[in-house]
Formats: sequence, C-alpha cells, structure tokens
Amino acid sequence: MPLEAFQVLSAALFCIGLYGVLARRSAVLILMSIELMLNAVNINLIAAAAHMDQTAFTGQIIAIFVITVAAAEVGLALAIILRIFRNRSTVNVDEVDLMKW
Amino acid sequence: MPETNLTSNLHLLLPEFLLATLAFAVFAIDLLLPANRKKLLAWVSVAGLIGLLALALALLWGENEEMYGGLIKVDSYALFFKSFFILLGIFIILSSVDYVGKHLSHPGEYYGLILFSVLAMNVMAASREILTAYVALELMSFSFYIMVSYARYNPRSNEAGIKYVLIGAFSSAILLFGISMLYSTIGVTHFADISATLANAGDASPALWVGLALILVGLGFKVAAVPFHMWAPDVYQGAPLPVTAYLAVGSKAAAFALMLRLFAEAFMPSIDDWQIIVAIIAAITMTVGNLVAIAQHNIKRLLAYSSIGQVGFLLVGIAALSETSPLASNGVMLHIVGYSFTNLAVFVGIIAFFNMTGKEEIADFSGLADRHPFLAAAMAIGMFSLAGLPFFAGFTTKFYLFTAAANEGLLWLAGLAIVNSLISLYYYQVEIRHMYIQPAPDMEGKLEPASAHNPHPPPVGGGAEDASRHSPTPLIIGVLILMVLGTFFVGVYPFPIVEALDAATSAILPGAGS
Repeated sequence: MPLEAFQVLSAALFCIGLYGVLARRSAVLILMSIELMLNAVNINLIAAAAHMDQTAFTGQIIAIFVITVAAAEVGLALAIILRIFRNRSTVNVDEVDLMKW
Repeated sequence: MPETNLTSNLHLLLPEFLLATLAFAVFAIDLLLPANRKKLLAWVSVAGLIGLLALALALLWGENEEMYGGLIKVDSYALFFKSFFILLGIFIILSSVDYVGKHLSHPGEYYGLILFSVLAMNVMAASREILTAYVALELMSFSFYIMVSYARYNPRSNEAGIKYVLIGAFSSAILLFGISMLYSTIGVTHFADISATLANAGDASPALWVGLALILVGLGFKVAAVPFHMWAPDVYQGAPLPVTAYLAVGSKAAAFALMLRLFAEAFMPSIDDWQIIVAIIAAITMTVGNLVAIAQHNIKRLLAYSSIGQVGFLLVGIAALSETSPLASNGVMLHIVGYSFTNLAVFVGIIAFFNMTGKEEIADFSGLADRHPFLAAAMAIGMFSLAGLPFFAGFTTKFYLFTAAANEGLLWLAGLAIVNSLISLYYYQVEIRHMYIQPAPDMEGKLEPASAHNPHPPPVGGGAEDASRHSPTPLIIGVLILMVLGTFFVGVYPFPIVEALDAATSAILPGAGS
C-alpha cells in the first residue's frame, strides 16, 4: 500500500479525535478523544518508518515514546479529574466554570 | 547514522544527572522529616541549585560538544539558559517558602517538582532533536500540571489544573501530529538535517507545510499565543501564586529557548515562508493581550493577559530572526531575562501582599503605599518596567527587539509593538493609582485570615506565623530587593549580559558574527 493511504487514515483519525475534543462535555471523553489523536500520530510514524529506511528505527522509537508519554499523561489527567469529582461531583467541563473572563 | 561513542564525554551532563538526583533526594528527605520541619526541604533545594550553578559554570564554560550522536548539544546557548533556569528555580523556591508554609500541604513534592521542571527546561534549551525536545517539554508540562492543581481542596486550583492538563494534552497531540507529518515527508528529526532538507527542497510537498504549521500551532498553545491563549487566564488565576509566577516566567522562557533553537537551527532556510505568519501571530497576540488586560479586575488575570502581550513581543523577535544578524536572537534572550526579573518583582510583591491579606483583586491594593511603601514601590517599578519606561529593564530589552524587527523590514510590526507598549502603560497605571492614590479600605478587611482562600488550610504553627500577617517576612523582602536590582541592572547596564548573549547566539546562528 502507498504511504499516502496511511497518511489519509491517520489524518482522518486525527480529525475524529479533534472533533471529539471540541464536542464532548465530559473530561473523561475529551481525554479519550486526545488518545485517538495520539494514535493517529503513531499510525503515521510507524507507516512512514516502514516505508523509509528499513534499518533505521526512528519512527518506531518515537511511537514508543509517544505511547509512554501518553500513558503518563492519562494517569495525571485522571488524578486531577478524580480530585474535581470529589470536590464538585461533576466532570463536565462546561460545569467547571468558576473562572471566566 | 555514524557510530558514536556514547559515553566518551558523559561528564558534560553531570549538572543534569545531579539535578535529577537532587530532586529524588528531596522526595526522599521529605519522607523522613516531621511535619513542622518541612522548610528544610526548601533550603536543601536552594543549596543544591547554587552548587549546581557553580558546577555548571566551572565545568561547561566554553564547551561546544554534541552528545548522544547530536541529540543534545552542550554549547554556550545551553549554558546561558542552564544558568538562567537554575537562578530562576532558586528565586521561585525562595519566594514560595512563606506561601507554601501557609497555604499548601505536602511541601516535599512541591520543591521536588520545581527541581524536575528546572531539569526539563535545561534539556529543552540543549536539545537539537525533535523527540528529545518533545520529551523535555512534556517533563516540564507534567511538573506544571501537578503544581497548578497543588491546592487540592481549592476548587479554583482544581479547575485550573483540569483546564491546563486537557489543553496541554490536546496541544501535545497537535504538536506530535505535526512532528509525524514532518517525519513522514522528510524522514529526519535532527535540527541540522531538517535545515539541510529545507534548504534543498525547493518544491516541498504540502504535507511538509501542514506538519510545520501544526508544530507552530502546538508551540503556540504552549506559550499561550493568540488565538491559542484561552487557557492562560484561567490557569493563572486558579494556580497557587508562586506557581503562577513560575508559569508566567519559567514555562515561557523555556518554550522560547526551545523555539529559538528550533527556528534558528532547523527552520531558518525557509524563513521567507514562515516569517510573515509568525509576525501576524505576534501582532494579534500583543494587541489582544494588551486590550483584554484593560478589562480585568483580578491581579492574576491582569498579569496573565499582560504576559500574553509579552509573548507577542517575544514573537516579534522570532519573526525578525536572521542568518546574518545576532540582533533578534539577542533581543529575544535579553527580553526573557529582563522580563523575568521584572515580572518576578511584581509577582513577589503580590505574594507578599497575599500572605498578609489573602486577597488578590486589584481594588484590594488600595492604599498599599501608605501601609507598605517598599512593597508598593517595588511593584510600581516592576510595572513601569513591564510597560517599557526608560531606566528599567523593559525599555532596554524592547529597544533591542524593535530595532531587530525594524532592521528586518518589519517596520509595521515594530510600530504596532510601540503602540501596544503605550496601551499596556494604561492598565499598569490603574494598578499603580490604586496603590498610591486611592485611600486604604478600613482595616477590618486587612486582618481577615489569610486562609480564607483555602477552606482546609494545613495546620499553622504558633505566633511567628501571626506576625507575618502584618508585615512581609525578611526573606520575601530580600528576594524583592534582588529582583528590583536586577530590573535596574538590565535596564541601565546590560552589556555584561549582552556579551554572554553574543556567545549564545553564535552557537545557534554561526553566520551571525557580531
């Protein structure tokens, strides 16, 4: 398959995630949408690495780092969401609005 | 990639290794200390950072070497920012001590996280490869996510934390997608290789431009450039005050250290394509930041919008980068230094005021000059400097930046920046008018418990704490004096710093001999 096919797939997945971030109200679902965007990144990286120099592993290495960092990010975000839920009994971002300009 | 001996010059990274060790040591000592001795952690951190600063200057002066096959470069640019970030960490810790004792629980993790973020900033300034820079950026962001939501029982701090972590993760995803597009079109991640590819690629594919644009958007979120700034005011207002100060100064300085190297070393060959985009973002950023700041009632939100305006000025410097002149790069770095002293002078004043009164609305500062003349004077000096009046740091650094922009033919941008400085003078004057001309509110309000901010304060120990409600502690006054002196130093006699900046610029822009 040509590289372009993978790029289109990853761009589509990225846009679905982007839509989710903008349209969802629950912080947990926003987090899941961000995960979709990060998976689009990984598809793009690994497909590109497979199509280019087969002896260099830059793309795969970046993908592994992305997965690791994303896992840490989710852990941190869920901890903060849990804190909000204990204090406010909601995780909907449009109800968390003490501060406005 | 050529085989390189990965361990040959590992000693050059000694400051980073020791800084990580220090951070873990602070975490460990925290477990052993009884609850009323936690202040010791701050002194351990400060002593460690001072030692590291001396070690870094002694060990790395004049070094210019690549490590790990070019992932990291130990040069005068990295050394300049390393010393800057370590000093910044020292000042932030010193100005946090009183606040942390009064308003936050778990001080051990707090100081440890500051140390980790300093480590991340050092690596950001030194990295010459996109993945390395990204991982360092994330380490810094993670430390900030935790610090912003550190007041666990304060709903505003929680709210700031969730907004920051969601926007931060979102912007990382955009930045990473940009990186993946860049990698999938040109297949390299080292700054030098990207530069070489861009120089040869006359007809680069649209996918490459999408990648570069998304990287710019991702970095725009990180530095809070308009239109990617909407998280900043909420996060600044909700975060604990010393963290807000650190966020306004440290995270911006580090992101610009990364951006400056990225744009100078990697994207320079295609400057004709991105210069106008960065210039337009700079223009919108400073105009929106300064105009919206006028309408603010909360001092932290005011400073958030003012710092968005300052990001606009720094972006002017990025847009004016040139392969042959060191002026713009020097200007960006000098503005970072001057802005840090200035902004910290204002923030430390606010921290001292908040420690006494627990208030942070602009109207609460009324009559401050009568009660605490030094505090009011220091904050007024900081605000005049932020507005760019002569003799203060803000004037000199903006002069460098705007001259660089004018030299590069961006006269309209320089003119707009000067107009924006005038606008910013207005809202700083409003705050200064409150401190100096408005009469003080009745003294009842002044004695309201400082813990009103926080429904579940940590246990407060004894009479020494009560005294600090009426006057600022010597420690915070000391930090404030240092910041004011720094503001004057950069404003009146910046030449020693400019010499260091020339060396730093020649490390990232070899063609720009001065």
